[in-house]
Amino acid sequence: MKGLLLYIDPGSGSYLVQVIIGAVLGALFYFKRFWLRVKTFFVRKKKGASTENDEGNA
Amino acid sequence: MTKEMPDRSRHPASYRDPSGFIFRLDGLCYRQVNEEYADDYRQLIDSGLYQALSSKNWLIGHSEVEQGPIGGPGHLKTLLPRQLPFISYPAEWSPDQLKDAALLTLGILRAAISRGMILKDASPTNIQFADGRPLFIDSLSFERYDASRPWVAYRQFCECFLYPLLLHHYHHQGVHKILAAYPEGIAASTTLPQLPLKSRLRPGIWLHVVLPARIRQGDGDAARLPPFDEKKLLLVVDNLESTIQKLRTDAPGEGSWRRYYSETILSSSYLAEKEKIFREMLGSIGFSSALDLGANDGHFSKILAERKALVIAADSDWACIGNLYRWCRDTGTSIYPLCIDIADPTPASGFGHAERSSFTERAESDLVIALALIHHLVLTRNIPFHMLAGYIARLTRAHLIVEFVAATDEKAILLTRNKPGFHKPYNANAFEQEFGRYFTIIRRTPIPGTERILYLMRKKEGQ
Repeated sequence: MKGLLLYIDPGSGSYLVQVIIGAVLGALFYFKRFWLRVKTFFVRKKKGASTENDEGNA
Repeated sequence: MTKEMPDRSRHPASYRDPSGFIFRLDGLCYRQVNEEYADDYRQLIDSGLYQALSSKNWLIGHSEVEQGPIGGPGHLKTLLPRQLPFISYPAEWSPDQLKDAALLTLGILRAAISRGMILKDASPTNIQFADGRPLFIDSLSFERYDASRPWVAYRQFCECFLYPLLLHHYHHQGVHKILAAYPEGIAASTTLPQLPLKSRLRPGIWLHVVLPARIRQGDGDAARLPPFDEKKLLLVVDNLESTIQKLRTDAPGEGSWRRYYSETILSSSYLAEKEKIFREMLGSIGFSSALDLGANDGHFSKILAERKALVIAADSDWACIGNLYRWCRDTGTSIYPLCIDIADPTPASGFGHAERSSFTERAESDLVIALALIHHLVLTRNIPFHMLAGYIARLTRAHLIVEFVAATDEKAILLTRNKPGFHKPYNANAFEQEFGRYFTIIRRTPIPGTERILYLMRKKEGQ
């Protein structure tokens, strides 16, 4: 019933646009998070390796 | 400053929202809240949203008037909002002002969502400027949030804020003329062909312009669309915000008047002498409101503001107005910088020509100053002295400080070098004679080392 009280016309197209944008950004968000995990995994590993080297040199 | 309306009448711009309206009584603006808005109003107050936003000066503060006046049928409550001394319209703003208004709208939207509410409209007219900063003035724009539905005002937000800012980002023409031509916002399908092809590679533009331009308003059945949720809405809001934050509001090159005072060879001694005479003239008069026509970088508007007056600074150069706005915002100075072409000021417009009043109607002040301006209007825009004097006499209630620039002045020569066709005679005598029809000259002081004269004038009775 809420829609009946609206005094600006959002147009159903505007809803569809937001559903698509929401889906695209949602997918990007999960992809970014996944990518960050992968990156963190390798960076940490690399960092760990270089720390060992530093200790070796010292 | 606005034209008096009959008592207790609904403000002519306040007719769209059935939740309530603004009315005026005994010189004060009140807002009536209608019964049908009762649940939303309760949520606005009980959720702490009103308190959170008004304490940050994001939303206009109000007091509930218990035994107060009633504007009309359907009355639930009467609010007495903070009274604003001057109203400006988006068609008078610089890109910076529109950008700040857009970011404030999104900030308020995010705060509302966190307290179970949402903005039901996203018009830039919901924003006014107070103490140099944007302020959301429509306390009835909030409604209870249904997380399964997208933002009802998304399209309006894009059309009124994002698209004008995008057009400015790529074409550097300001936003005021776009918003004057499209007061309800410019459509995605009108915006898209004006953006360079390379812009479509930007995700924000693809999502918020290309996609909406391809999908028609009737497409998709709202009832059958997959459910939306708060997380998705916040992603859309974040993306809109980061897209807008990256948009340029400055000018890549230097505009016509941007360095008028800082770089002209007349500069330092001319400016110092002019300021000295100007301050002496100001010292001899009283005023509580002032209008600076052709304000440029606002050097003299800032001097007017030192007198705690209401100062309106008008200039046709959006970049000058943008610079002045940023200074006012950062220092919290209450000057109203507006993009106004004096030869074509904002007309009365909207429904019945009454929704938005004309610049002339709003800007009438105790004092008008017009420094280094008259020669542009006479020599470039071909406005005869007597018409100019007549118009300025409508803008000032009492005094005028005006600078006359002789035809032999370096800047005047530049204007007339390739343009023989202007009204003659153009000299101080003709200027004094024509302005003398409307004004009495109180002081006439030549600026040493220049071919310029500063005048202090008083408007004649009955003009």
